[in-house]
Amino acid sequence: MIGPLPRLHAVTDDRVVAAGGVAERAAALAEAAGPGLAVHVRTRILAGGALLELARAVGAALRPHGSWLVVNGRADVARAAGAAAVQVGRGGLSVREVRRAAPGLAVGRSVHDAAEARAAHADGADFLLAGPLFATPSHPGEPAAGPAMLREAATTGVPVVAIGGLVPGNAAAALEAGAWGVAAVRALWDAPDPAAAARAFLSVLPAPATVAVVVNGESRTVAAGTTLRGLLEQLGLDPRAVVVEHNRRIVRRDGLESARLSAGDAVELVHFVGGG
Amino acid sequence: MTTTVMAPAFQDTPLVVGGRSFRSRLLVGTGKYKDNATMVRAIEASGAEVVTVAVRRISLDRTKEEGILYHLDPARFFLLANTAGCYTGEDAVRYARLAREAGFNEFIKLEVIGDQKTLLPDVAGLLEAARTLVKEGFKVMAYTNEDLVTALRLEDAGCAAVMPLASPIGSGLGLLNPYSIRTIKSRLTVPVIVDAGVGTASDACVTMEQGVDGLLMNTAIAEARDPVAMAHAMRLATEAGRAAVLAGRMPRREVAVPSSPGTGMLS
Repeated sequence: MIGPLPRLHAVTDDRVVAAGGVAERAAALAEAAGPGLAVHVRTRILAGGALLELARAVGAALRPHGSWLVVNGRADVARAAGAAAVQVGRGGLSVREVRRAAPGLAVGRSVHDAAEARAAHADGADFLLAGPLFATPSHPGEPAAGPAMLREAATTGVPVVAIGGLVPGNAAAALEAGAWGVAAVRALWDAPDPAAAARAFLSVLPAPATVAVVVNGESRTVAAGTTLRGLLEQLGLDPRAVVVEHNRRIVRRDGLESARLSAGDAVELVHFVGGG
Repeated sequence: MTTTVMAPAFQDTPLVVGGRSFRSRLLVGTGKYKDNATMVRAIEASGAEVVTVAVRRISLDRTKEEGILYHLDPARFFLLANTAGCYTGEDAVRYARLAREAGFNEFIKLEVIGDQKTLLPDVAGLLEAARTLVKEGFKVMAYTNEDLVTALRLEDAGCAAVMPLASPIGSGLGLLNPYSIRTIKSRLTVPVIVDAGVGTASDACVTMEQGVDGLLMNTAIAEARDPVAMAHAMRLATEAGRAAVLAGRMPRREVAVPSSPGTGMLS
């Protein structure tokens, strides 16, 4: 994972994607919520090529703010777009299959009851998207699972993100039931001011812990638990074009994923320049 | 019509350093050029295969792309990273490790500078760093002064090449001490590559005429009015000096000896 799982998840659907301007709205959300935000690109109306194009555009909008890009269903698209995670739903790939197709990415599973939550936990999911917590127009006629299901899902120990009818006003109820964070479609994408809506959610959610580190001699604040890969991503640096030293120890490319930043850490990012 | 195949007038052996073979005995730096296009053209004109690069912090604002690999194809040139700017053996070792991690090769041009004004080496720090790096599997090419004893110690330490200076880095003063360079060359088994100080083509030629195995330069080309033309000149001069050594010069005499026959003159 590139860092701690964000608490606020903005999930698209076909309607949001069809309306357009997803990357622009994602940029506004990311500016407001930074590393506390994950944007899930989820749609069935785009074929692979167009989906990848959208995911890349959203990823580019999120990256400077340290927000996560999550691609729904398509591990191949997630990998190509440089996403932080893949979200798989009912009938989708297993976690093991996703990890093979997209190594290094976090894997979220969508669950609708306690049995599915336990199965996802056994499958090795990094986080669960559990719902619908409340009745939602996204799934008309589907009964709300309610906080009891959330509570049971949380007992697996896997971070649970509640979805379904979430608004800033009821997000606290999700947290009380054991949720790590909340996901919303309409409350974020349909808001006249998406950034204001994101801020309203964040005011209820626990603030992400940050740490001060020194990168190439400059002080920077990053989310606690940010990995070196996450840092490079935030800086827009290609891991193949840079050598990384973390507290005086060189970190190989395959170790960037597991090395996490702590307060006071010193990171040096070097490359070759002209010299005699 | 018959075709006559002539034997080439001059054929050189390759320069072998640390198990790697190079056709060109001229090695060039990549610093101080006014733009990257000129650098690339000058390197092409020099015929060099080994090009030196420095390790520096990447700029985080991403507004400029100063990485050398965006301009120089690492598949075409042998990248020799240096530890320029390091004032302690410890720093030089740190830079060398970072350079190796870039993943091109295990060669390092080791510099440990001891004096800011002359950029002359700190030979104690140099020897210590050389020993550490050799132990870690590096092929160390050590930049040093023209002192024989230091050169011998560097060879004992396991360096792949010893690189005495012609004169201080970037000075363009040419070969100040030909005797010392000849002495070092005559006593060492590993390649001796003169590094730093040549200013123009004649300097390169005279340096190669001391019998050394190669020559590394940067400023003499980069700061010439026309770097591409100077790179061409340096290529010719390096080859000329090398060819002259292999050809074997005539003896020096304090008297004139006529070149034309003394006989057959008109009465």
